[in-house]
Amino acid sequence: MRDRISMRQAGIIICLTIFSNKILLLPALMYNFIKADGIFSIIILFALEFVCLPILFLLKRNFPDEKLHDILKKYLTVVGAKIIYFMLLVFMIFKVLLTFSIVYVYFKQQIYQNEFIWIAFVAFLPVVNHAFMSGIKPTARTMELFFSVIMAGFIFCLVISLFTTISTPTFFVSSAKNIFSSVYKYAFTFGDLLFMFVIIDKIDYRRRQERKMYFYTFLGMLLVVLLFFLFYGKYQITSFMHNNALADLLVFSVQFNAIGRLDIIAMLTIMFITLFQMEIYCYGFCDCLLGIFPLLDKKYAIVVFDLAFFILYYVFIGKYEVIVHATVSWLPILGVIIGYALPILCLIISIIKGRKNEKSG
Amino acid sequence: MSYFNVEEKIEELRGELNESVDFAHRFYKKDDQTIALVFLKSITDQALLASGIYYPIQTFEGKYSIENLTEQILKCADVKEIKENEIVDQILDGKIIILTNFSQKLISVDLLKFPTRQPTEPPTSPVIQGPREGFVEDIQTNITLIRRRLKSKNLVVKNLKVGSESQTKVVVTYLSDVANDEVVKKVIKKIQAIEIDGVVDSYYILSFLQEHPDSLFKQVGNAEKPDIVASKILEGKVAILVDNSPIVLTVPFAIIEDLQNSNDYYTNHHYSSIIRIIRVFGLLVAVLAPGFYLALQLFHYNIMPLNFLITIADTTLGLPFTPFLEIIFIFLLFQILYEVSLRLPSYLGLATSVVGALILGDTGVKAGLISPPGVIIVALAKIALYTIPEQSSQITVLQIIFLILGGSLGLMGMIAGMVYFVNYLNKLDSYGTPYLAPYSPRIPKDLKDAIFTSSITEMEELPKTYSPKKEKRNER
Repeated sequence: MRDRISMRQAGIIICLTIFSNKILLLPALMYNFIKADGIFSIIILFALEFVCLPILFLLKRNFPDEKLHDILKKYLTVVGAKIIYFMLLVFMIFKVLLTFSIVYVYFKQQIYQNEFIWIAFVAFLPVVNHAFMSGIKPTARTMELFFSVIMAGFIFCLVISLFTTISTPTFFVSSAKNIFSSVYKYAFTFGDLLFMFVIIDKIDYRRRQERKMYFYTFLGMLLVVLLFFLFYGKYQITSFMHNNALADLLVFSVQFNAIGRLDIIAMLTIMFITLFQMEIYCYGFCDCLLGIFPLLDKKYAIVVFDLAFFILYYVFIGKYEVIVHATVSWLPILGVIIGYALPILCLIISIIKGRKNEKSG
Repeated sequence: MSYFNVEEKIEELRGELNESVDFAHRFYKKDDQTIALVFLKSITDQALLASGIYYPIQTFEGKYSIENLTEQILKCADVKEIKENEIVDQILDGKIIILTNFSQKLISVDLLKFPTRQPTEPPTSPVIQGPREGFVEDIQTNITLIRRRLKSKNLVVKNLKVGSESQTKVVVTYLSDVANDEVVKKVIKKIQAIEIDGVVDSYYILSFLQEHPDSLFKQVGNAEKPDIVASKILEGKVAILVDNSPIVLTVPFAIIEDLQNSNDYYTNHHYSSIIRIIRVFGLLVAVLAPGFYLALQLFHYNIMPLNFLITIADTTLGLPFTPFLEIIFIFLLFQILYEVSLRLPSYLGLATSVVGALILGDTGVKAGLISPPGVIIVALAKIALYTIPEQSSQITVLQIIFLILGGSLGLMGMIAGMVYFVNYLNKLDSYGTPYLAPYSPRIPKDLKDAIFTSSITEMEELPKTYSPKKEKRNER
C-alpha cells in the first residue's frame, strides 16, 4: 500500500489546517490590536498563503516524486537542507503547542473544571501518535470521512449566529501601518500550507485536479473570514472579551436559549479540528525529524515528539499566557522566515529546474 | 491373467479404514471373472446402488470388460477411472469403488447421499419481500442454489480440500470476467495454505482468510442466502462455500456491506435510503450512547438541558453505585440475560426475558439500585445494536471501550476514540479494498449504493470499491 494521498484529501487537509488557531482566540486578539480591521489583515495573510498553492504545484511538476529534503539538498547542500528542516521542525512543534494550549484553556473553562491537562494528554497523544504510525494515507482518509461532519458543525455555528442581532462591523478605524503590523504580528498563526511542502512527495498529483485543492483552500479561508465577520458583527466593541469565537457565536441566539446549550456543536467541531491539526503537525514534526536524521526509526521519532511536547509544555511554556505572548513576540519571526521564505525558495528552485528542463529539451 | 487379488485388496482397505462398521463390499463372480464393489454404507445411496449397479451387473450377459462396465452396464451419471492411491479418499467421499481381477483400472461411481435439510428461510436473514431460500449444510445443494441464479458460462466453481482429518470440501466460486484475478489467486493461495486438522464450519476458514486475523473487525463477508451471494458474485466478489456450513463467505469486504440488506433491493429505493440512515444512526447510538451518557453525567453536566439534568439528578439521588459502576452493572445484566436467552430453549427464553425486563429491571429501579435513565440508555444501545446484526460482536466490544473512554475522559476521550478507530479502520483493507469505501476514500460512483441508494436502473456500473475487471454490468 503506497502511502500517498489524493488531491482531494490534500485539499481537505489544507482546509482543516487553515482553521488552526484562528477560530477560537485569534479574532479576539486581533480585535484588541486593530479592531474590526483585523478582517483585512487575515485577508492579506490568506492571499499570501493562497499564492503558496501554485508554487507547490510548480514544485511538484518539476520534482514529481522527490522529497522536499532531497530537493533542498540538491540546491542548498546537505547542511542547508538540514537547517531548513530544523526550522520547520520548530515551526511544527510550536504549532502543536499553540493549538493545544488554546484548546486546553477553552475546554477547561467550558466543560472540564479540574485536572483537564491529563485528560487532554491521555486523550490526544495516543491518537496523534497512532495517526503518525499509520501513515499519511489513513490519516487523510479519516479527515476525509469526518470533513462533512466538521463542515456541518462549523456552518451550523455560523448560521445559528445569524439568529441574533448582527450589525456590520465598523471598518477603517486602524491605520494601514497597523494592519500591516498585525499581518506580521500574527504571521505565525498562518503559514499552514507549509505542511503540504513537507509531504510533497506523498501527494498523488494530477494537473487536472489542481482545482480541487484550490477549492478546499478557498473554502477554508472563506469560512474563517465569515467567522471573523459574524463574530465582530455580533460582539462589536466587546469582541476582545470573547476568547472562544466559534463557540461564542452560538451564545445568546434565540435557538440557543430554546433548546439548551447548543455550543456542544461547537465543542465537538473544535475537538475534531484540534485532533486533526495535532495529527498533521505531529506528522510534520516527525517527518522533519526523519529528514534531519534519516536513520532514525519511525517509532523513535514519535517518542521524540512526545518528549519535546511534554518538555516544552511543562518546562518552557508552562502557562497559556507564555505561549500566547510567544505567538506575537518571537514566533512571528519564525513564521515569516519559514512561512514565506521557504515558498519563495521553492519558487526559485522550480524556475531554475524548469529552465534546465527547457534547455535539455 | 489376474491383475488384482480382489479379496486381499478389500481386506487391505478394511484395515486402512480401521474396520469401520459401515465399510461394505460385494462380489460378483462369473466364470473366472470377479467384480468387487467397495463403499461406505452410511454415505451412499443404497437404492441407486441396487438399481444402477447391482442389477445391471447381475443381469449382464457376456464377458465383462472395463469398457463394458463404464459405457454399457453401469446406469449412473458420474462414472470415472481413478488411480490406486485415490481409493481411500474416494470411498470417504461416498463413491463406490469397483475392483476387478481382469483389469488394472479402477472405477469410481458417485453415489454420495446423506441426510440433508431443505433450503428454508434462514433465521438470521428474514425478508418481507423477495426470495426466502437459504443455504443448507450440503455444499452440492448450495452450489446448485447459486448456479440457478447465475446461469453464466463465466461462473467458475473450483474445488479444494481443507483439513488433514476432515478433508472438508471448500468451493471457490466467482465470475471469471468480473472478479479481480489478484483477489482470486490470493484467496485460492490462502485456502491451499491452510494447515488444520478439521473444518467443522466456514468460520474456521474465515479466520484464515482474514488479512489481519488479530483485528477486532471482520474482513470477510458472510451470507446465508443464495440471492445475496449471487449479487455479491455479480459485483466481482469471490464466494467461498464450505461443506457442512450454511454460511457462505465472500471477499473482498467493505463495512458498507453490512449496512446493505437484501430487503433494500426488493423495495422502493427512497424508502431503502431512509432505512439505511436509520441503521447508521442505530450503529452510532449502539456504540456511543452509553459512553456519551456517562461523559455528560460525570464531566459535562453543565451542558445538559436543564430539565434533563433535573430528571437525572432526581433519579440518581441515593443510588449505591457511582454513575460509571451503575452503567457497567446494567450493561452486565443485559449481557447475561442475552447470553441466557440465546442458550435456553425458546419456551424458557421467553420466561427469562420476562424475568429480566420486568423483575430485574423494574425491581432494580424500585429498590434504588439502578436509575431509569441508565436502564433506558443501556437498553437503547443494546436494541440499536441489532440494526446491524452482522456487526453485533464488534459493536459490543466497542460499547465497552467507549463506555470506559466516556467514563474516564469525557467527551474528549469519546472523540479521540472515534478518530482512533476510524483511523485504524482506514488502515485496514480486505484484499485491497479499503474498509470504509466508498466514503473513505471517496468513490463518487459507488455512492449510488451506499447509505443513500439509487434505483437499480441507475446502477449501470459495477462498484469500483471491489476493483472488478470490467466497468459496466452488462459489458461483454
